[in-house]
Amino acid sequence: MRKFNVTVNGETFAVEVEDAGSVASAPRAAAPAAAPAAAPLAAPAPAPAPAPKAAAAAGDITSPLPGTILKVNVSAGQSVKAGDVLMILEAMKMENEIMAPADGTVTAVHVAQGATVQSGDPLVSM
Amino acid sequence: MATDKLAQLIKKREEVILGGGQDKIDKHHAKGKYTARERINKILDEGSFVELDQFVVHRGTAFGFDKVKAPGEGVVTGYGTVDGRLVYVFSQDFTVQGGSLGEMHAAKICKVMELAVKNGAPCIGINDSGGARIQEAVDALNGYGRIFKLNTLASGVVPQLSIIMGPCAGGAVYSPALTDFIFMVDKCQMFITGPAVIQSVTGEVVTAEALGGARTHNTKSGNAHFYAATEDECIEQVKTLLGFLPSNNMECAPVFACDDPVERCEESLLSIIPDNPNKPYDMKEVVRGIADNGYLFEVHENFARNIVTGFIRLNGRSVGVIANQPKVGAGSLDIDCSDKAARFIRLCDAFNIPILTCVDTPGYLPGVAQEHGGIIRHGAKLLYAYSEATVPLLVLITRKAYGGAYLAMCGKSLGADVAIAWPTAQIAVMGASGAANIVFAKEIKNSSNPEKTRAEKIAEYEEEFANPYKAAARGFVDLVVEPDKTRYYLCKSLDSLLGKKESRPARKHGNIPL
Repeated sequence: MRKFNVTVNGETFAVEVEDAGSVASAPRAAAPAAAPAAAPLAAPAPAPAPAPKAAAAAGDITSPLPGTILKVNVSAGQSVKAGDVLMILEAMKMENEIMAPADGTVTAVHVAQGATVQSGDPLVSM
Repeated sequence: MATDKLAQLIKKREEVILGGGQDKIDKHHAKGKYTARERINKILDEGSFVELDQFVVHRGTAFGFDKVKAPGEGVVTGYGTVDGRLVYVFSQDFTVQGGSLGEMHAAKICKVMELAVKNGAPCIGINDSGGARIQEAVDALNGYGRIFKLNTLASGVVPQLSIIMGPCAGGAVYSPALTDFIFMVDKCQMFITGPAVIQSVTGEVVTAEALGGARTHNTKSGNAHFYAATEDECIEQVKTLLGFLPSNNMECAPVFACDDPVERCEESLLSIIPDNPNKPYDMKEVVRGIADNGYLFEVHENFARNIVTGFIRLNGRSVGVIANQPKVGAGSLDIDCSDKAARFIRLCDAFNIPILTCVDTPGYLPGVAQEHGGIIRHGAKLLYAYSEATVPLLVLITRKAYGGAYLAMCGKSLGADVAIAWPTAQIAVMGASGAANIVFAKEIKNSSNPEKTRAEKIAEYEEEFANPYKAAARGFVDLVVEPDKTRYYLCKSLDSLLGKKESRPARKHGNIPL
């Protein structure tokens, strides 16, 4: 494993490159001169991770889309029936109804009205 | 004939029909499962099953396998009828050597597949097998390979249905994967590598059910098209589906007498679109309102639910439906729903089933995960599938039809034969607020009250473009109709398109972006 600093458009990335053994070059006539040390196309460095939010646990109802919570209809301790609308998520210019997947009791509500959520963020625990 | 000859036949046949023996049959029943022959007899019309290759035996010799008896070679094959129509069928027998697949087991399957193609009839495969018969080594491997090849050659020629009623792991999963439909019964699993291998390699701990159960494949992976709690329920789904399909690619699906008047007005459709364009509604109610007797038979019901795919009948004729679902994910297009819809369109086109597309989508779902997941090439499948289709293409635009997503949902330019819009339709290059921000950027910026100007300009844009008449003015919409009369216009349009002939230049095959 070797470490390189790669500068792309003025931004420097630390890259680790593993030597996977010599790769036979394709027998292509008049191949263009290989670029010096053609490193495999490095995937762009990931953007700094957003502040980690609480990961969704099994049984949590998660946000299907990135959007804004328009309305919260339930509170912790409330019992709900399958198909009840727990909250409204405004996303893609649509008021998406977040429904209870099964009968049960709400144990926690993770978001408040006006909150911005990413897809996969936990909304309600049941 | 000497009676001993007849007695010999009867004795030999009884041995085969007993499969792995009464003990194993009892054990199988105790698990709530039907035997291979019972399953066939429940799918086929009573008494119609003709069994082939009962007396085939294996040629394995390794590890003392020459001493092992495998009556019927662990698979029951033959033909019969469903609702009077010929189908070929094979059904793996778990009571015989765990339904394991060896050379001659595969040969029996290949024979019925070849017959199905030759005679233009659907092929139904019931999978219940422990996998390759290891004692037969590469002969078993070759058997799988031959089945995969035949699956591929039969694809688009005759409908192929796979039913998973037991284990189906490793290479065995690829035969179902190559067929048109996968039906899974609860507590049956499919995976390439099982939980034990996964744990030893990646350290991930997962149960077989969570990894590859019927629910998982129907909701998460999209590998399976139908979920059934019981084998009986699954068998009913198979029969219903066959009623919507032709027997082969040279025929049309059966036409049923229709007791639901074509002229029936569906008044509920007059009020189904909410006044607020940001409110969702259930597109399935629209589809049911249009269909004969309100019947929609969904395919892939639980996967990528932001698009609905399924079959309805219009005046007795089978029609494939692709419909945005505003109720789920705002009806936006994403990777999974593009894959789901594109494959369904190609199925319908391969088997001469007209397609109805119901449009209400705000567009493609924005997001890094979508872009990096390849929404460009996945979304392109939709465009490709519609553009290459030669069956009658009907489009109904109920509300939002914006930009690229409007085109991807069978835009007129891709070949829609009849595009019908409701007065609530909004066909535009993009939504009003986005468009107003770009078109009137200067006015909004220079205004003393930008928010007020923005609202005014959005309203102005909406007034001008958020309707079906701009598209109708160019002929991109053929009809603007009252929602309650949609059924009548769709049935009439379909009637007018039954003679549609479109040819394509000769080529080996296209290169769909996979």
